[in-house]
Amino acid sequence: MNNVFSHIWRFIGLVAAQGFLFQAIAVKVGAYFNIILWPIFILLLPLQMAVPYLVALGCLAGFMVDFFYGTPGLHASAGAFTGFIRPWVILAFAPKGGFTAKELIFSPAHVSWPTFLQGAAGLLVLHLFWYFSVEAFTFVYLSTITLKTISAWVLSFGVTILYAILFNPKK
Amino acid sequence: MLTLLQLILRNGGFVSFVLLEAFCFYVIVQYNERQNSIWGHSAGLVAGDINENRQNLSDYVGLRARVDSLTAENAVLLTQLANARMVQVPYRDTFYTVNYETSVCVESVRRKHIRPQYEFIAAKVIANNISGSANWIMINKGSKDGLSPNLGVVTASGIIGILRHVDDEFSMVMSVLHRQTKVSVSLPKYGNAFGSLVWEGGDPSVMTLRFIPKHFQIKPGDLVETSGLSQIFPKGIPVGKVETEPVQDDENPYFLQMKVRLSQDLSTAGDVYVVSNLFKSQIDSLQQRVAHE
Repeated sequence: MNNVFSHIWRFIGLVAAQGFLFQAIAVKVGAYFNIILWPIFILLLPLQMAVPYLVALGCLAGFMVDFFYGTPGLHASAGAFTGFIRPWVILAFAPKGGFTAKELIFSPAHVSWPTFLQGAAGLLVLHLFWYFSVEAFTFVYLSTITLKTISAWVLSFGVTILYAILFNPKK
Repeated sequence: MLTLLQLILRNGGFVSFVLLEAFCFYVIVQYNERQNSIWGHSAGLVAGDINENRQNLSDYVGLRARVDSLTAENAVLLTQLANARMVQVPYRDTFYTVNYETSVCVESVRRKHIRPQYEFIAAKVIANNISGSANWIMINKGSKDGLSPNLGVVTASGIIGILRHVDDEFSMVMSVLHRQTKVSVSLPKYGNAFGSLVWEGGDPSVMTLRFIPKHFQIKPGDLVETSGLSQIFPKGIPVGKVETEPVQDDENPYFLQMKVRLSQDLSTAGDVYVVSNLFKSQIDSLQQRVAHE
């Protein structure tokens, strides 16, 4: 029960930070200064969670972020995509022999810092590429999509490391 | 059914992903202006391509009928061309009709004889609608072919509509079967008495001719053709025949109104010609000067 509350608080905290803080920064500084932190909520969902739940929760969190950004469906689509691909990304960086039942979530406290950083980096880059592709809605602007993905990934990954150091999520 | 259910249960992650993405896609297109306009443009291009391919196929199937139609059209054009070569030349107090190409006259006089005003650009109809009250037609030519808005569209048999929206490759024609279309027409039998042709809905082969002065004794069967006064259609393009006895116009008692049966069946329009007025910019500029006085 305690674990569920941890996820709910993380959901509220990350969506609020994204909607109130990072959205305002992007508006003030410019289109290439995007910090997208909220997908970490999907990454930190329980490792044993089934894919349909990951997809649904990712989509729901995305819709909440869209509410702040005024872009209905854009973050929701990227959230559903991130939820769908999370098992494969995590599997790609899983320790030899796979996870044991002791690892509740994909956090540094459970899976070691290098594994967490690799998983977070991989998931973020895929999430951001999907998001900016849907935002552009055409691959005519592929170079712009790639540039935005790279700049947002650098910033978002930095803030993700900061988040992991500050909060060190355990459950 | 059971197999389908098992398939969905086994691929729950994929199914939920596809369903939610489809929902998000709908929301994105519906509620985001930028994505909506990109989607509308792309869908229009795809629809245009599909319609063109479908039209190509039906063209191939109906090749025999098309050859017959083109041969008949060619004959009409050849006749018109032959007639156009004959020009009237004044000699003392009499006009003589002579063949333009064989007539002996200096170059400056020849230039005066013939001054082409219209250019015809051939196009094909790739989408057509006649069932609504505001009908549009899509053709496979656009700005790359020299088209611009407000040009007339005709066939050998009659008028089709007026070009309104022009993209690179395709254009949208406001059909004569559109409540906002108004065409200036005349009745050659009565010294070119002219009026306005409008469509009031209903039968797609019948339009209403209005604003013909009351003193003309018009009868059913009289020919109606374009007047050439609007600068959109050249003078003398066939439009149709008067269908009913003229009656007093409800809105203006000094004028008559009557039904006209169109000579071109809009539902079968295939090969069309866009009419470009070569002096349009000069005429527009003159009209603007008058408007400011």
